[in-house]
Amino acid sequence: MDHREVEKAVANWSAAIYIPISLGAGLTFLLAATLAGNYPPVAKVGGAIWVGILSLIVSMPIVTSRVKKRWRNKS
Amino acid sequence: MISSTRLLSLPVEGMSCASCVSHVEEALRDTPGVSEVVVNLGTRKASLAYDPAQVTLGEIIGAVGDVGYSVPTAELTLDVRGMTCASCVAHVEGALTELDGVTAAVVNLGLGTARVTHVPDVVSPGAMKRAVRDVGYEAQERSKGADVLDRERQERQDEIRRQGRRLLTAGLIGLVVMVGTFYDMLGPFKAYVPVWLSYRWVIGLLTTPIVLGPGRQFFTNSWKGLKHGVTDMNLLYATGIGAAYGIAVINTVFPKAGFGGEGATFFESAALLTAFIILGRWLEALTRGRTSEAIRKLMKLQPKVARLIRDGTEREIPADEVEIGDLILVRPGESVPVDGMLTEGYSAVDESMLTGESLPVEKQTGDSVIGGTLNKTGAFKFTAMRVGKDTALAQIIKLVEDAQASKAPIQKMADWVAGHFILGVHMLAVAVFLFWFFFGYRMYFDPASAFILSPYRLGEIGVFGFSLLLSVTVLVISCPCAVGLATPSAMMAGTGKAAEHGVLFKGAEAIENASKLATIVFDKTGTLTKGEPSVTDVIVSGGGAWSAHDAPVDQLEGRLLRMAAATEKNSEHPLGEAIVRGAEARGVKVEDPESFNSIPGQGVEAQVAGRSVLLGNRRLMSECGVDFSGLMPRAERLEVEGKTVMFISVDGQPAGLVAVADTLKEHTAEAIHRLHGFGIETAMITGDNRRTAEAIARQAGIDRVLAEVLPQDKAAEIRRLQSGGGPKPVFVGMVGDGVNDAPALAQADVGMAIGSGTDVAKETGDVILIKDDVRDVIVALEVARATMRKVKQNLFWAFVYNTLGIPLGAGLFYPLVSLIISPELAGLMMAVSSISVTLNTLLLRGFKPSVRAGTAEPQLRLAPAGAGAD
Repeated sequence: MDHREVEKAVANWSAAIYIPISLGAGLTFLLAATLAGNYPPVAKVGGAIWVGILSLIVSMPIVTSRVKKRWRNKS
Repeated sequence: MISSTRLLSLPVEGMSCASCVSHVEEALRDTPGVSEVVVNLGTRKASLAYDPAQVTLGEIIGAVGDVGYSVPTAELTLDVRGMTCASCVAHVEGALTELDGVTAAVVNLGLGTARVTHVPDVVSPGAMKRAVRDVGYEAQERSKGADVLDRERQERQDEIRRQGRRLLTAGLIGLVVMVGTFYDMLGPFKAYVPVWLSYRWVIGLLTTPIVLGPGRQFFTNSWKGLKHGVTDMNLLYATGIGAAYGIAVINTVFPKAGFGGEGATFFESAALLTAFIILGRWLEALTRGRTSEAIRKLMKLQPKVARLIRDGTEREIPADEVEIGDLILVRPGESVPVDGMLTEGYSAVDESMLTGESLPVEKQTGDSVIGGTLNKTGAFKFTAMRVGKDTALAQIIKLVEDAQASKAPIQKMADWVAGHFILGVHMLAVAVFLFWFFFGYRMYFDPASAFILSPYRLGEIGVFGFSLLLSVTVLVISCPCAVGLATPSAMMAGTGKAAEHGVLFKGAEAIENASKLATIVFDKTGTLTKGEPSVTDVIVSGGGAWSAHDAPVDQLEGRLLRMAAATEKNSEHPLGEAIVRGAEARGVKVEDPESFNSIPGQGVEAQVAGRSVLLGNRRLMSECGVDFSGLMPRAERLEVEGKTVMFISVDGQPAGLVAVADTLKEHTAEAIHRLHGFGIETAMITGDNRRTAEAIARQAGIDRVLAEVLPQDKAAEIRRLQSGGGPKPVFVGMVGDGVNDAPALAQADVGMAIGSGTDVAKETGDVILIKDDVRDVIVALEVARATMRKVKQNLFWAFVYNTLGIPLGAGLFYPLVSLIISPELAGLMMAVSSISVTLNTLLLRGFKPSVRAGTAEPQLRLAPAGAGAD
């Protein structure tokens, strides 16, 4: 497998992990905001999106580098 | 299959922060066949080793491109003459693609051209032409591209122009947005501003071209990185600007959406934040080039043309086409094109640009001349000895470039911090958002609250808008923009400044270590002393051999010296040679001896002018029964002074003594005194006996003597000094000649090779002192300390804004003062952070070592290294 194919596989595997993490974080926020108080719907959805985006930014490099390391060790 | 690793220094474009550095490093390290990767933000270069059997240059460039950065490549077309068939095409293509820095070569036989795609900073057109010539063809540039220097300047000017244009657009429109936003507060000036400018949708329309125009770079760059799972500072800016703009648009178009309505349209935040970030980038581009001024000065020295003398005729050719053995003419006022040896003529040459030597050096037949130096007075011809990358100037440029591309330990730490900082900042932004959303807003929000330094009120803002605002401000204010520049910019300025004075640091680590030196060990012979013994005393015996003569003492001294020199004339012993030199220097005509016999370990015997002469040590005299008791007190006193005494008898009678010693160099004592002024302990290491060593150390003012140390044991002595006996290791520097003292220079924390001349490539040691002047150790030390002082100040300026700004941005003091910092003010603080760092570094340009400035020797003992760096 050449370098580009490895990169592609790592990217796919990583996305399969960090996207659910980010979605999970957003949904958790939505759930918490719903249960915690009387927030307007726009605030709840907006907050969930913002938390989801930030979680994506945080989890993306962490997950990608872990997957890359694992891939390297495997090969 | 034999695999050979090649070293490469690649320029990388698009890096703006320390996290970019780690992304590029990681991408390169992950590429099979690539190792020893070091990326430097200041020089925008990646140094690496690669195995051509495993990876091609194109793949390496591709790996850099994959993470969103680029390696600039250029195309050059060569006219190739002499190609006749397809195999010629393969030869020429093969010769070109073999070169480091060439990614592809396409030869067109019909047109007789070779189109070469290459990395301009790695391979020069001259090297390509030589490669083609080496396989039997003639090559010439079809279109003369700009040389490295011009290209570098061009790239910098392009970047300045690009960011300047963006700044002008963002700044001017941003100003209008500001006026429109604060229309109600304009007071009497309202009359000059149309009211429609204050309409939200107009402000929104004005902000849009700022975000999508000048601000687009942050979105595209962060997207490129995100696609490959990497985050950098562009992402901080993109999320900050994007969030402010997005919320403003929603609140303008859908004021009832619950995001704070029309009272929370932060268009001016998005506009001014973009403008301030671009202001930082523009100022950075403006000042960045100036920190590498020294290397450009060196590059400028490279002469463009040479006057070649062939078959008695003179013609001008490009300097990079001069070949070894060519005869070159240099007229007054012209630069010497390459290195060589003078064969005809006489002149004075200004070598200050390379050696730091202020006075022009006189040159006559047989003397060497250095390419890039300036001929002052007469015309001369010389034979080219070193050309292309082998010239002293090319070696010095390479050495300085390599040093600038290297990383100091302090920078590795700063890069690591900055690399992890961005993730930490995003986590902090989540935490800040969650806190203010769930607790802070309900507990502390005050509708009368405002932004710092702004009359703007936050009255209508909702829980989401408020929490998002603080979260965005944290992202913007935490950006460690200046951290990535703090160390490399100072290192570039420092190494360049040192090179201007003939001191070449081989790496940034050498600068950092040099600033911490507590002890400096000097090799004795050739470093502190001239390395060549000379006659210091001639003492005639009051009786003995001379009793029958009635002559004044000075005449007798001359006679004794003549006899001693004649005795030693055929000797190859250094002391014998010193006597012959000493006699000749005093105008004594040295005769040939009638017979000569060496007595191993004791001396020599000879027949001179019919008389039997013995010359040697005490033991020789005692074995031959010559009584020197009358001169013994004088002999012992000379030995205490570190001199080697030789006894001379004539016809079996004592005739006198000749003392020989290696003398201190002119500036040794001054250099040692100045070092003491810096709080540095000095030591001398030598194989000489303790008495001689101590005598020299006394004259020089050296603190500690390590005598009778065999060459192979010198490294062990350095190791012993480094351990110091205490819990903390002591930083020890070693100054010696780069060849003989190589193990000790390598063992020391900083090895300084002195007096290497300009053949710098072969020298061992971390620092190369081109001139044979011990005072350059002071120059190295002062530059290192000044550089590290700048590094520490820069790191302070880079972090102080973050440290102060993060609590402010997160709203830590909001419950007390009902004030928060606006995203645009956060952006301005970050821009100021970058400006502080680059301007502080530029102050190094005015630095002048005390030795060169003619400053009086330091009188006070300062705090020892490290502490003294500040």
